[in-house]
Amino acid sequence: MNFSIDAAYKSLNKIKEELCGDKVELLKTVDSDIMILADGMGSGVKANILATLTSKILGTMFLNGASIDDCIETIAKTLPVCQVRQIAYSTFSILQVSHDGQVYLAEFDNPSCIVIRKGKIFSLPFTERVLENKVIRECRFQAEQNDCFILMSDGVIHAGVGNLLNFGWSWQNVAEYALSAAKETLSASRLANTLIKACDDLYMQLPGDDTTVAILRITQARSIDLFTGPPYNPEDDTRLIHDFIHSQGKKIICGGTSANIASRILKRPLVTSLNYTDPSLPPIAKMEGIDLVTEGVLTLSRALDLIKQYKDGPVDEQFFEELDKDNGGSRVAKYIIEDCSILCLFVGKAMNEAHQNPSLPFNLSIRLHLVDQLKEAVTAIGKEVHIQYY
Amino acid sequence: MVVTICIGSSCHLKGSREIVHTLESLIKEYKIEEQVQLTGSFCMGECVKGVCVKVDDKSYSLTPGNTKEFFMEEVLGGLKDECH
Repeated sequence: MNFSIDAAYKSLNKIKEELCGDKVELLKTVDSDIMILADGMGSGVKANILATLTSKILGTMFLNGASIDDCIETIAKTLPVCQVRQIAYSTFSILQVSHDGQVYLAEFDNPSCIVIRKGKIFSLPFTERVLENKVIRECRFQAEQNDCFILMSDGVIHAGVGNLLNFGWSWQNVAEYALSAAKETLSASRLANTLIKACDDLYMQLPGDDTTVAILRITQARSIDLFTGPPYNPEDDTRLIHDFIHSQGKKIICGGTSANIASRILKRPLVTSLNYTDPSLPPIAKMEGIDLVTEGVLTLSRALDLIKQYKDGPVDEQFFEELDKDNGGSRVAKYIIEDCSILCLFVGKAMNEAHQNPSLPFNLSIRLHLVDQLKEAVTAIGKEVHIQYY
Repeated sequence: MVVTICIGSSCHLKGSREIVHTLESLIKEYKIEEQVQLTGSFCMGECVKGVCVKVDDKSYSLTPGNTKEFFMEEVLGGLKDECH
């Protein structure tokens, strides 16, 4: 199955707590992606420790091929026992999607995973069994392109309880809300943000419980080809443009000189605008067959800042507002964050003489340094990066 | 008359946006929108002399400070020459 995985999560801490009692682990094995959500009993430090231990034990054991039975036995025997309640307790959900599309889902006491398939809520073929006195729900099925999985802690379905809503939000309502929100975006991160925002509103910004959503979406593998910088040797211009244009992805050119080279070789006019949508970045341009044409280093620096912000998380509404802006930097970042699983960079190594001018506010010969940082950040947000130098 | 302003990285940092705005408002002030077309261009390859501005095919090197002077002499002046 030719797909890529986009996963993201977001939490709200219970009011007045500095630590979250829910914990999410995202892992990759050689042949699968794993997402684990654990919700520790109580709140604050104790809950955080229980949830962290549970998710780490599950993750580490699963990663090394242990069976679910062994994992649960280990958790039951190792979690510290609560002095007040005399039990050791943390709920959990484990979602594993193999590269061949096989899905394995195991849940203990968490609200059931919401699965959205083809614009509908997909009901899961759960079976139950008892392990170490715990009732575990399990199911296995085949994933399809565009499936969306939503794991959550009970803080989500309890949002608003006793306040705005008598009995909280309920699983069904959450599922329906998620269904309509999922139609709006293909991004896991944006969807997580929308759902958590709704919970926060229902709690009237005073969450009565730790609240977490973790989302995993299966999307078609999408690639982006980005050309920046003229080749060191001008004789290579044609070869670079040939490689760039025959690569499969969406096309972005970052760089004035680069755009001029493409325009000359492809014999397509380059139309620049004077529409400054952002005062600190040069305007974008247009060329037939190229999805986005921007200025080079200033725009790339801006895009890199946004990608780093996304990587370091957590991101909020303001971040997405910035990402949706119509300037070159935001648009490059949005393509890379939300519309890309494989990034192919076509990088020329020529130095721009004029950029060595010491009167400039910073050294514009930083293109290669920028490319290195871009590679690092984009790899860190789970995408494949290939670089071809010229 | 076509006036092209370089908006490449280097010229951008040297103030091409300010020059674009100044020229836009001067063109309005003198009501010559019909005769002058203002357009942008990525790097013109003369970064050392930035900010690069071209009037038809002739190149000039501008700073935000001497833009008004340039407008009076080359743009308004040029239009007068065209009329004669």
